[in-house]
Amino acid sequence: MQPWIRLRRTATVARLAAYLYLLYKVPGWIRRLRGLPPRSEEELAPTHERAARAILAAALSMRGVIIKLCQAIATRADVFPPAFVERLKQCHDAVPPQPFAVVKAAVERELGKPLDAVFASFEERPIAAASLAQVHAARLLDGTEVAVKVQYPDIEEIVRTDLRNMERACRVYEWADPKPLELLPLLRELTQHLGYELDFRREARCADRVREIFAGDPHVRIPAIHHELSTGRVLVMERVSGIKITDKAAIERAGLDPAAVVQDLMSAYVRMILAAGFFQADPHPGNLMVTPERELILLDFGLSKELPEGYGLGLFELMFSLMTLNEAAMIRAFQELGFETKTGDPGTFLLIARRMLARSETGGFEGEFTEQMTDDLFEAIRQDPVVKVPSDFVLVGRVFSFLSGIAHTLGSRANVLAAMGAAPPQ
Amino acid sequence: MTAAAEPTPDRLPDRLSWTREELLDSGAYAAPLIAGGVRCHGGFEADGRYRSPRTTHRAPAIRAWQAGLAREGHELLDIPRAAMPPQYPNVEQAALLLAHGVRDPIVRTLTIISIVEGFGAMIRDVRVPDLAALVVEPIEGTALTHLSGGLFEAHARDESGYKDEGGHKQMWEAARDLALEKPKVPGDVLMRFMGRNAARRRPERPFPQLDETLERMLAMMAQVLVVEVFAEGTFDWGMRLLSDPKVSAAPEAAGTMVGHIRADENPHVAYLRTALSEVRARTLRTVDGRTLAGRTVVDALLHRILREITRNRPREQREDLREGLVAAMQAAAKPGALLEAFDALDSPWTPPARTGFEPESSDAAAAS
Repeated sequence: MQPWIRLRRTATVARLAAYLYLLYKVPGWIRRLRGLPPRSEEELAPTHERAARAILAAALSMRGVIIKLCQAIATRADVFPPAFVERLKQCHDAVPPQPFAVVKAAVERELGKPLDAVFASFEERPIAAASLAQVHAARLLDGTEVAVKVQYPDIEEIVRTDLRNMERACRVYEWADPKPLELLPLLRELTQHLGYELDFRREARCADRVREIFAGDPHVRIPAIHHELSTGRVLVMERVSGIKITDKAAIERAGLDPAAVVQDLMSAYVRMILAAGFFQADPHPGNLMVTPERELILLDFGLSKELPEGYGLGLFELMFSLMTLNEAAMIRAFQELGFETKTGDPGTFLLIARRMLARSETGGFEGEFTEQMTDDLFEAIRQDPVVKVPSDFVLVGRVFSFLSGIAHTLGSRANVLAAMGAAPPQ
Repeated sequence: MTAAAEPTPDRLPDRLSWTREELLDSGAYAAPLIAGGVRCHGGFEADGRYRSPRTTHRAPAIRAWQAGLAREGHELLDIPRAAMPPQYPNVEQAALLLAHGVRDPIVRTLTIISIVEGFGAMIRDVRVPDLAALVVEPIEGTALTHLSGGLFEAHARDESGYKDEGGHKQMWEAARDLALEKPKVPGDVLMRFMGRNAARRRPERPFPQLDETLERMLAMMAQVLVVEVFAEGTFDWGMRLLSDPKVSAAPEAAGTMVGHIRADENPHVAYLRTALSEVRARTLRTVDGRTLAGRTVVDALLHRILREITRNRPREQREDLREGLVAAMQAAAKPGALLEAFDALDSPWTPPARTGFEPESSDAAAAS
């Protein structure tokens, strides 16, 4: 990467950090001079909105890690105000692609051969573009249809630079703010996830591992990886086609029952998360398809996650205790999952659980982590800083929340416990 | 503290209407039941006898409904015990494995039993239709009118616990932990549990002419009744194995705990038998304005469930379990010899030719 580009990125981050600092601090100083109390959360809402807009603008111009950071912020309603979460959600699908010449050069460099020595054809227009890579349709010399995921050149260097800049900015912020948001743990988590996502060999291994979980299951398909053509920065995989999981009309036109599709989707994720403890942690609709033969296709294993041993059973115990309203079991499950209170008062867990349950129509947990319930859980935690949430739980909560959103789009419910095969007939 | 105490009815035995609060009432105990450090439901009388939870009024209520059914001249249906498949591995086989340090399969089985028990709580989510509109004959003063008025809820609380009290799920975990000294639960326990359940698809409706909610409720009740009756085999297995001093670290406490669960299950079998017998003695309205004998529906549902449980499922479960058992035995000193000894202790079983609820040819014409 050119030094001037590195300098420009550093300057952009520094400028953004300074703007955010002053945006929040100057009104506070003025109020203090006037003898006024600090602004309430409600009064801060317009400031949050302006800050979120500035961050989004910087992210879309810089791309790279800052897009990833924004995506992470958008999933952390437990830490950030609603304006941040809402505004930065746009980073999930607003990334412009790289020109084909750049992609072609990257593939040839990685494979050590001209493009036409490996591919009979290679679509210039990408199927999808994300923050770190884009995907092109292609055909191998033997006629096999493949999808080629190509990492952007220099992205590793950009990521490293951005992470360094962000860490500096976070440290300055934490030094300057008497009650800072805990950004450094989030940054560490992001660094770890980015390391995963930039390693396409790892992604290939993860795809293989998830495929093993579903060996013999005719309802789930994981595209095969062409390992001999894949490198750390280029991933060549079987090209699959299907109906986008949220396209209810197309699913019905194919003669499939959307409720059955939801059931298959939930069964797949419950099997990965609760039973196998290893899962594809990015179930946004672009990564999920279904075929007319009722085969669920999972794509993109860059953000696959291994849970600690016994974590799936712990999650099951928490959901189960919520469903059965067993408060003693709820407290045990929260503690076993790694939740902590500074005071050690377990009553906090019950307050959180009751708040989540109050969201459901019946006042009980019916096996589904809805987006509202997850948001409420995180909101309760954000308001009560005595609780520490394990990052694995946040990731799993986000996954179930996404799945709930998909289920509702299809007019159904994402019942985790029913997906285990034990729900009563309705 | 082993014998189960019969609750003393403080109401007339022929009283037929009970409030939800009464059916959920446990009354006061002289001492609570603490299992594995967890406060569980139920408790002890002053004389040390165990009394099941929520039976102060539920037990006499069920007896009163059964008496009412008998007064009307109807029989109480019975699930034949002969149809009950044996446990695999049986007590002797399980004890052999434990004696040879092969613990994971037994820990896994006990944990899955606790999970299955806990899932019994989902009975509270079964939708109950307007039965008075769907049953031709009067249903006042029956167990049927109390399903959503406390019976399902009491059942759910018994199985999974409620508020600060553990239920059967926690009691099975406590029995396991007492006997096997808080063993490490194998990481694949949910995978095994799901492997058995997740592939199931919603079955076809055998009586599409019935109100769907009614049909699903009856199917669920029939299923749970059969499972509860056959759980006798599991209780027997659990009590014998966990009270064996050769393999259990706390033979008396662990065996007694399973005995308490067994005692708690009696009201479940009793109310489900009663309510399904009440349906069997009545006539159901179909969605097209015709009628159908309740006996036809209940017997067909029980026949289908018994046939499924006694035919294919024991073989499938056995095959599924055997694979894991053989794999676990590889950790033993002499796996080949252990497997041979294990197989020598096997108890052969042939499912009965009849379920006892075969549809009769006259049933086909029962729809009027």
